[in-house]
Amino acid sequence: MKQATLHARKAGVIIALLGVVVVLSSSFRYVPHGSASTRDSAVSAQAFMKVYSVLMSPRCVNCHPAGDVPLQGELSQPHAMSPQRGDDGKGVYAMKCANCHQAVNLPGPHMPPGNPNWHLPPANMKMVFQGKTPRELALQLTNPATNGNKDKKKLLEHADDGLVVGGWNPGEGRALPPLSYAEFKKAWRTWIETGAYAPAK
Amino acid sequence: MSQQNEATTTSRRNFLKTAGIAGSGLCLALYFPSLAKAAKIVNADEGGVDDVEMNAWVHINTSGKVTIFCHRAEMGQGAYQAVPQIVAEELEVDLDKVNIVFAQGNRKKYGGQVTGGSSTVRGSYKNLLKLGATAREMLIAAAAARWGVPAAECFAASAQVHHRPGGKTLHYGELVVSASKMEAPKEVKQKARADYKLIGKPLKRQDTVLKTNGTAIFGIDKKIPGMKYAAVERNPRLRGTVKSYDDSATMRVPGVTKVIKVKMAVFNTYREGVAVIANSTWAAMQGKKALKVEWDDSGFEHISTEDIYKRQQEDLATKEGLLLKKVGDPDAVIKKGGKVLDVVYQTPYQSHSCMEPLNCIAHYQGDKLEVWGPIQGPDWVQDFLSKEMGVAKENVFINMTFLGGGFGRKAFLDYPHEACVISKEIGAPVQVVWSREDDMTQGPYRPGVSYRCEAVVANGGIEAFKVRMSGQNTDHWDAEKSTKANGSTSEGFLKPYFEAIGNVSFSDVPFETPIPIMWWRSVYASTNGFAYESFIDEIALAAGKDPLELRRQYLKEDRIRKQIDKLVEVSGWKNRKKNEGYGVAMTECFNSTVGQVVKVSRGANGKVKIDHVWAVMDCGWYVNPDTIRAQVEGSIVMALGAATIHEITFKDGLVEQKNFYAYKMPRISDIPFEIEVHIMDNDAAAGGVGEPGLPPFAPALTNAIFDLTGSRIRKLPFDMNTI
Amino acid sequence: MISLNVNGESHSIDADPEMPLLWALRDILNLTGTKYGCGVAQCGACVVHLDGEAVRSCVTKVSRAGGRKVITIEGLSANNDHPLQKAWQEIDVPQCGYCHSGQIMSAAVLLRENPNPTDADIDAAMSGNICRCGTYPRIRKAIHLAAAWQAKGNGR
Repeated sequence: MKQATLHARKAGVIIALLGVVVVLSSSFRYVPHGSASTRDSAVSAQAFMKVYSVLMSPRCVNCHPAGDVPLQGELSQPHAMSPQRGDDGKGVYAMKCANCHQAVNLPGPHMPPGNPNWHLPPANMKMVFQGKTPRELALQLTNPATNGNKDKKKLLEHADDGLVVGGWNPGEGRALPPLSYAEFKKAWRTWIETGAYAPAK
Repeated sequence: MSQQNEATTTSRRNFLKTAGIAGSGLCLALYFPSLAKAAKIVNADEGGVDDVEMNAWVHINTSGKVTIFCHRAEMGQGAYQAVPQIVAEELEVDLDKVNIVFAQGNRKKYGGQVTGGSSTVRGSYKNLLKLGATAREMLIAAAAARWGVPAAECFAASAQVHHRPGGKTLHYGELVVSASKMEAPKEVKQKARADYKLIGKPLKRQDTVLKTNGTAIFGIDKKIPGMKYAAVERNPRLRGTVKSYDDSATMRVPGVTKVIKVKMAVFNTYREGVAVIANSTWAAMQGKKALKVEWDDSGFEHISTEDIYKRQQEDLATKEGLLLKKVGDPDAVIKKGGKVLDVVYQTPYQSHSCMEPLNCIAHYQGDKLEVWGPIQGPDWVQDFLSKEMGVAKENVFINMTFLGGGFGRKAFLDYPHEACVISKEIGAPVQVVWSREDDMTQGPYRPGVSYRCEAVVANGGIEAFKVRMSGQNTDHWDAEKSTKANGSTSEGFLKPYFEAIGNVSFSDVPFETPIPIMWWRSVYASTNGFAYESFIDEIALAAGKDPLELRRQYLKEDRIRKQIDKLVEVSGWKNRKKNEGYGVAMTECFNSTVGQVVKVSRGANGKVKIDHVWAVMDCGWYVNPDTIRAQVEGSIVMALGAATIHEITFKDGLVEQKNFYAYKMPRISDIPFEIEVHIMDNDAAAGGVGEPGLPPFAPALTNAIFDLTGSRIRKLPFDMNTI
Repeated sequence: MISLNVNGESHSIDADPEMPLLWALRDILNLTGTKYGCGVAQCGACVVHLDGEAVRSCVTKVSRAGGRKVITIEGLSANNDHPLQKAWQEIDVPQCGYCHSGQIMSAAVLLRENPNPTDADIDAAMSGNICRCGTYPRIRKAIHLAAAWQAKGNGR
């Protein structure tokens, strides 16, 4: 067990070192706060892989689609009836999110899940998850120009956003994200506080 | 202004109570032409105004108001418009001033009322024309007698009789009492088609106004004083019985008052369920969700979709089945060999899924039974309920409302029967509302059918054409018919092919399951058409012929040739460009032939898209061209859904699609293309309109896809995105 | 008791706050123009306006509508003369007619927010409303016609 962990760590360090090289040569503009002593590219990238598993689960990716129509269901298929993102991410005309999605989940399978703030990212900041590699997503999340103008503090706080937390209250018949909320939040904080490093790929 | 609402239906009820259902008035129906000399005069709602029943379809009151009864169901296809439009033409009344009321179920008075087989106009127009003309002539005769002038000098227009030389005028209300006492003429002069002012014109539908402001009353909208609401949990395996149930949670739902076991007739069997009675629809539905029912599912097969098609196709590989029709000897030709085509087509089970889920109100009162609902066959329902509920037929009153879609499902007798059983049990009027899930998972369905089609192609033509189908037969519910070939096996196939090809046979390889099945818009033509018209296309390819020219070669009747010419002309068939796929199909059902050409191409995203659909309808004599266009447009959209979007599947005897999230529907974004409908003008007898536009679409589409891509689709539904 | 303002009239109704607005409108207020089609926000037959938005009343609890303005098809116009209603009549859009209350209520929000919609805008606004009769080509035409009438100022 210890041995394995050690190997993993070694491997992680190597990956992370490669990662750091790539990161430094990339357009990565997020400057990690905190002292150099808290930075650990290996730990950070590993933590992000956990975060990534959650962000790519249907509960998150479904509202971070590559196109302008949200996804739905466990297979992340295009949302029936093709509701459009709209400028503010809240839908358009007669097809606004809140026309069906209430403030709370409704009982029963296939009923629209609810949240008081149900929406997609806005058109000028689409924050696409769908199809992104871990590295692409990490870079996107750390860049204020692509993460909704979030600095480190706001990024840390985002784990407490009601819609993010709502992923763990998905409504009847929907799977939970692969990590518990506590595990996710811990991984999210670890990723950011250890430097918000992007994995190599 | 025409109305169909609470007030008029109530008034109608009052009238019938007073007049008696037998209606001893002047009944001019051709079905039952016995004439009484004195019309029934009753007091109607207006004070001091008498309402006179000129005949079963026409009432005129003494203030001049004309009421025309629509004896058929209005489910979108336009009976509520067509029936009065025909009568008003010969009666000489303005359609927008007529009161239109749905007739109650009464076969003796109206003839068959089952609104199926696209039969409303084609089955009753001659009668409606004659009774309209007869009533008009009697009103003219009454005026002539009053004025002491020859009837020939008088004419009728806009519900008035005019004396041309004298410049005198009387409205129908002033004449109706004396007219009703006259002997009805045996022969009346009817108008020439060229003189029609209403028939053949694209008049606006009289129900549109009611359907744009929420005032049209559908079955689900009807309210009866003291009415309870019910929701019923029925066996999800479509048969079987209730072993036990636990209603403790149900009885705690606010508004729920009672839970009872019920059974309803499904063809020749009964289905059991547990009914939750409540004071609102929602409370009943909530109570139903809280029920725990244990079912006895023994004694019948729990089938899955893959088993269905496996068994059908195994049978088609080895069995000849029951011969329905044979011309020449196709087997002998096939045995000789040569260029033999031998392919299998497969079509899915489909749900009607009317937008208005099934519902029905029943009020059982011992010696009297009254029903209100979206009902396609009120006379059938009357017969059936009289027998099942033990109430004399003349005391069973069936009231039609508007139907929020029908497509065949609402001609079925189960849901009115179930409502009656519940009303009897609780001793109160009750409305049973089926949830969307109930409606979608309980059937009956259009049967899924496999076809084996064989042909021999030689000398640029068809030497033999042999078809076997295997799929559930709507007639086989009656056990006695299970040894007879399904009479619908050749439905959709154009009749001239038989003699022109010379060696043709159609057989039915019987196939049964416990799944209840039922007519679905255009019935077997909806699936046959896909197989047979795809096969003709495959034959054309094998024969090296243009698909339309091959059809012209065999469809030698002048009427069909003209229709083919029209299809060629409007679709630009001869000017097809590279990178465009064109497909054609022609089918016949209910005495109308429809040809369609579909044009497809690849969009910017590389996916195949439909660019245009041209339809040419030949339904002979017709009433309202705009209704025909609308019906063909709608049929094409419905056919698109059945061909490319949805299907009903079974797993272990359970239906897998419960609501529109799984049984997806075409939406407006799926129909960006234009549908262009042309109507042939000729003097042939009237054919059907509501259904014949559906069958040719799927094969025209898949033939077009073949033309574009070289890929032949033999199984429906298919996904347009994966071609 | 829940206070509802429906089509400009105030009502105080005795309903379970969990009851969908749809059934409160239909079974309690007898406003049956709003239809039940699927109960799971898939078909749009139940669309009403809640403070101007085209909500699906089958999934909207009556408590959510409390104190807010509800407009149903019966209250869209005083004389069945909203430009969309007139366009629907002009083009004879409905067949069975069951879905059209919802269709018109959805289209009304589209026209209010976009007086000159393109086909793509119509798709974006109207893809939530199912019509089993397949009247979609006419719905599209009628929306364009209503928009044209409105632009000319003679929508009514």
